Amino acid sequence: MITVKDLHKSYGKLEVLKGISCEIDASQVVCVIGPSGSGKSTFLRCLNLLESITSGTVVINGHDLGDRKLNTSAVRQDVGMVFQQFNLFPHMKVLENIMIAPVKVAKKPKAVTREKALELLDKVGLASKADVYPSALSGGQQQRVAIARALAMDPTVMLFDEPTSALDPETVGDVLQVMKRLAEEGMTMVVVSHEMGFAREVADRVIFMDGGVIVEDGNPAEIFDNPKEARTQAFLSRVS
Amino acid sequence: MTWYLGDLIPYMPLLLQGLWISIYISVLSFVFGSVLGLFAYLAKASRWRVLRGISGAYIEVVRNVPLLVVLYLIYFGLTQFGVNLDPLWSTLIALTINNGAYVAEILRAGFEAVPKGLREAAHALGMNSAQTFRYAILVPGIRNVFPAMTNQFILLFLFSSVASVIALPELTNQLLRVNSETLRTFEVFTVGALLYYVVSSVLAIGSRLGEKRLFRW
Ligand SMILES: Nc1ncnc2c1ncn2[C@@H]1O[C@H](COP(=O)(O)OP(=O)(O)O)[C@@H](O)[C@H]1O
Ligand SMILES: [Mg+2]
Repeated sequence: MITVKDLHKSYGKLEVLKGISCEIDASQVVCVIGPSGSGKSTFLRCLNLLESITSGTVVINGHDLGDRKLNTSAVRQDVGMVFQQFNLFPHMKVLENIMIAPVKVAKKPKAVTREKALELLDKVGLASKADVYPSALSGGQQQRVAIARALAMDPTVMLFDEPTSALDPETVGDVLQVMKRLAEEGMTMVVVSHEMGFAREVADRVIFMDGGVIVEDGNPAEIFDNPKEARTQAFLSRVS
Repeated sequence: MTWYLGDLIPYMPLLLQGLWISIYISVLSFVFGSVLGLFAYLAKASRWRVLRGISGAYIEVVRNVPLLVVLYLIYFGLTQFGVNLDPLWSTLIALTINNGAYVAEILRAGFEAVPKGLREAAHALGMNSAQTFRYAILVPGIRNVFPAMTNQFILLFLFSSVASVIALPELTNQLLRVNSETLRTFEVFTVGALLYYVVSSVLAIGSRLGEKRLFRW
């Protein structure tokens, strides 16, 4: 589903990703962990072209991101993204937030989209909030709307960049619950998160990044209970 | 001499006419100036260095030269080159030039303040640049610039009194005239101040109400 080979990313002289390679299969849930500044967000953002790729190859669901004739919009419609800060459109009610991209970008009929949006809202537990503005919601509720908004485009892959880091502790659980359900339904997910409980329970794989490279890549039990690399051990002892 | 308003009563229609002209030139130069300001902002935010330079220079000059001097340049100065503009056009041009620079700055500040995340979210959903602007940036940007724009309009309305010096019969010019005819100086300018004040405050209140109604989010 996702093939990354020797991905490099530099901002001017600063090399942030120094050769990332990995293979992610359909329906896999991969958690990416690592210290702040290690390039996790940059890696994720390269996967939906929010950042240009300096060198290397990335192929997602058949789209070769290095292809000059690539249809950027098509890739992004295929790859949903959820941000730490939710980034809901503040001037649109919850339902409009969810409907805007399917209607304006994918050109789907309004009525069908509306049905689907309401279903998605129900799925994230916010059926009663269709008609309110995001500012009236808690962080956790906003993040669940953001997930529904991304899902409305029928993506084949979902990227999550620290989706619970900006939330009050009491609203984290609901968001993780929604993500867990999504994983169980077979969504391919790449999740940057330090929610170790979630990673252990839901992830098929954990990738530990540090200094722009993948230091360790394995199943959660291996990484958490038996890390091979000293850097992984040091990181885990600091966060837990 | 004691306070006496009676002498002014016959002149009220004249003053209201002057007020009307003040409002009229303010509205026109606000509209023209906003269009100019929009282009100046787009030029300043553009990729082309020459455009950025021109726009930057324009904004700098306007912000550092008195409006009155610009008005003199246009009304008196240009006659030297055979360009004879009447007071109305001179005023409209001077106010438009002035307002455009401030509008450019207001737009820049307001649109730069729209969270970067909204653009990213729109891109991530597959929107192209035009769609991103239209659906994610435009309305939050308008909300950001709204109070400063209405404030700018009020300032423009007050500044429009400079046109009195080139004999455009707007409110201040009419005040001067009524003053010389009635010699009720204190009364005349008090009434004038009151007229400016009332219009400005009504605009300010209207702006706040409008903001509440327009932006319920
Ligand atoms: N737009 C940018 N321009 C320059 N440097 C950047 C930019 N975005 C990120 N960086 C740098 O790249 C490095 C990795 O950042 P990031 O991917 O956000 O790390 P993480 O998500 O793991 O905390 C950091 O040193 C950061 O300062
Ligand atoms: Mg990050």
